[in-house]
Amino acid sequence: MTSPSTAALAALPLGTAAATTTPAPRDTEYDGTVTVLSRKPAADGVTSLVLAPRDGVPLPRWQPGAHIDVVLPTGTVRQYSLCGPTAVTDCWRIAVLREPAGRGGSQWIHDEVREGSELRIRGPRNNFPLRKASRYLFVAGGIGITPLLPMIGEAYAAGAEWSLLYGGRSRASMAFLSELAGYGERVTVRPQDEYGLLDLAGHLGEPDPSALVYCCGPAGLIDAVEAHCATWPAGSLHVERFAATPGQHPGDGEGDEPFEVELRSSGVTLTVRPGQSVLGAVAAAGAPVMSSCEEGICGSCETAVLAGEIDHRDSLLTDDERAAGDTMLICVSRARGGRLVLDL
Amino acid sequence: MLSSHVRNGWYLGAWSDEIGRTLTRRWITDIPVCFYRLPDGSVTAVEDRCPHRKYPLSLGHLDDEGTLQCDYHGYRFDGQGVCVGVAEQADRPKAALRRFPLVEKDGAIWIWPGEADLADASLLPDTSWLTDPRWTHVHGVVPLKARHLLLVENLLDLTHETFLHPTSIGNAAVAATPIDVTVDGDRVGFSRRMVGIEAPPFYEKSCGLTSPVDRWQDGEFHPPGIFVLHIRVAATGTEEPEGFHMKVLYGMTPALGNETHDFYALARDYLIDDEDLTEFQHKQQLAVMQEDVDALEAQELMYATDPGGTAESSIRSDLAALRGRRALAKMLAREQRGNVPA
Repeated sequence: MTSPSTAALAALPLGTAAATTTPAPRDTEYDGTVTVLSRKPAADGVTSLVLAPRDGVPLPRWQPGAHIDVVLPTGTVRQYSLCGPTAVTDCWRIAVLREPAGRGGSQWIHDEVREGSELRIRGPRNNFPLRKASRYLFVAGGIGITPLLPMIGEAYAAGAEWSLLYGGRSRASMAFLSELAGYGERVTVRPQDEYGLLDLAGHLGEPDPSALVYCCGPAGLIDAVEAHCATWPAGSLHVERFAATPGQHPGDGEGDEPFEVELRSSGVTLTVRPGQSVLGAVAAAGAPVMSSCEEGICGSCETAVLAGEIDHRDSLLTDDERAAGDTMLICVSRARGGRLVLDL
Repeated sequence: MLSSHVRNGWYLGAWSDEIGRTLTRRWITDIPVCFYRLPDGSVTAVEDRCPHRKYPLSLGHLDDEGTLQCDYHGYRFDGQGVCVGVAEQADRPKAALRRFPLVEKDGAIWIWPGEADLADASLLPDTSWLTDPRWTHVHGVVPLKARHLLLVENLLDLTHETFLHPTSIGNAAVAATPIDVTVDGDRVGFSRRMVGIEAPPFYEKSCGLTSPVDRWQDGEFHPPGIFVLHIRVAATGTEEPEGFHMKVLYGMTPALGNETHDFYALARDYLIDDEDLTEFQHKQQLAVMQEDVDALEAQELMYATDPGGTAESSIRSDLAALRGRRALAKMLAREQRGNVPA
């Protein structure tokens, strides 16, 4: 069974891989450069990109809910859900919402990436896998539709019973409505400017042990769905939260990469794990460092940076201080990929 | 001599109405300054040390031509600070006084105690509301036996109003409302917009308002020593520009050691002819400042006796004060490296 969203990819300029002998797909994680085959507006503020490797070797297979890392030229890593059909292995689709309040990753993609641009990516990885069930209740908020699109394709192909409640600010801001239209009444589109808040109770109904609920969207929506599903059997609800806004929830480690920190005076090199702060790693290594608030406010732990790109996540430093790149608050800020050399 | 204070910046040296044809001494960033007016009415400020044996010139005499005489051995200086002779002796020593850059505007005399070449009048904030006929104001200066930084931080973290000024300008809403902090070069700004809150006693009486009200506080710190607070109070839901507006200017001028001149001006744009209201507001302002002075002097003792500096805890509402502290530290570091921005 071919899902309607597969048809949307049929028109894509696919790589040359399909022409001659088709190599087997990579079975490990891909880490390399891809070319942007197409860039299209998917909704107000949302652009969809189709990416293909330059060497024509098919990409690794992936399962619904998977995401890839996009490594920006600054070393910043941003994660985007794959939202094309899982059956297509010579290109991948992601959709990027422009987030002016973010740290600039999405802005850079919107402003700088064109058809023919090259991007460095890694992946896929899946922290949001679709488990087998006879019935699925999908709830999407805004750009949270992206991991759910391939899940819906899978549920449809498996002949499962499913429905989608899809909310957003307005119809114009909601991506992939035309692709979803092919599914008919199983999809309920509820832009907030027309309908107000989502009717979660109406969509989710009473606890159903045979059903799984999959939700992705802004924190408020996920909190509401979690509250609604509190009485459901354990394991019924699966959510994917967008990475927390940096500076709001420092050190939650969501989406962070491990990186190395060299302490120049101590002659020690440490690895800082996701979810661990530089301060924590440095203190554990016994280097003398002051700290107080551990929230990126007070500046007690400010440390001189001798080399490396800093991912500033504090509230204290000014834009000029950040741009100088020679100091950081190690309680919350991290490396933008690569390693940091600290004057410790 | 290195000072612990930034000197390349404008400080409020005196109110215009404080300085006349008498010699007035005021310590500014550990420098003794002698203020006086020349016969043409222009204000001048010189270092209050005679070049001869450092006797305070403010203990001397000013004649009708504007010549300043030291009353120890008779050195005499013209309006440009150049020595024009010594008493009745024939010698004419090569000596001149250090004169400080001054800007007099809107009833205030601003002084630049650092390098004269760097004095830039465009760095001064807008104070036109002190002379705008649509506004009325009171002003003065209060002595403070506490270091300048404590006053800066007091004004940049107004959550203290909730606890220190509960009978006048503070209530729970102040500490409960977060601030937005902005930085523009060395300047630090904050904005606290309290909406639908209980009117603090001072504003109930000052504006005849009943709760709920909207209260705005938009502060600007122009380091090293100038703070302006823009206040707007109105019945909840009132649209700008309707409502009651007030402004407070604080000149935070380091004096000698850990003492500070706490200059203030309080202005309003409503009932400007109501002298009873003016008197009430002035009394309230001085009462609030006394609460601050008492607190800062108590705090000064704790800082002075903790030279090692035990660690301080900080929270999000400290952000403007912490940025102000950093701005001052940076300016001081730049100054002491002799590395000043062009």
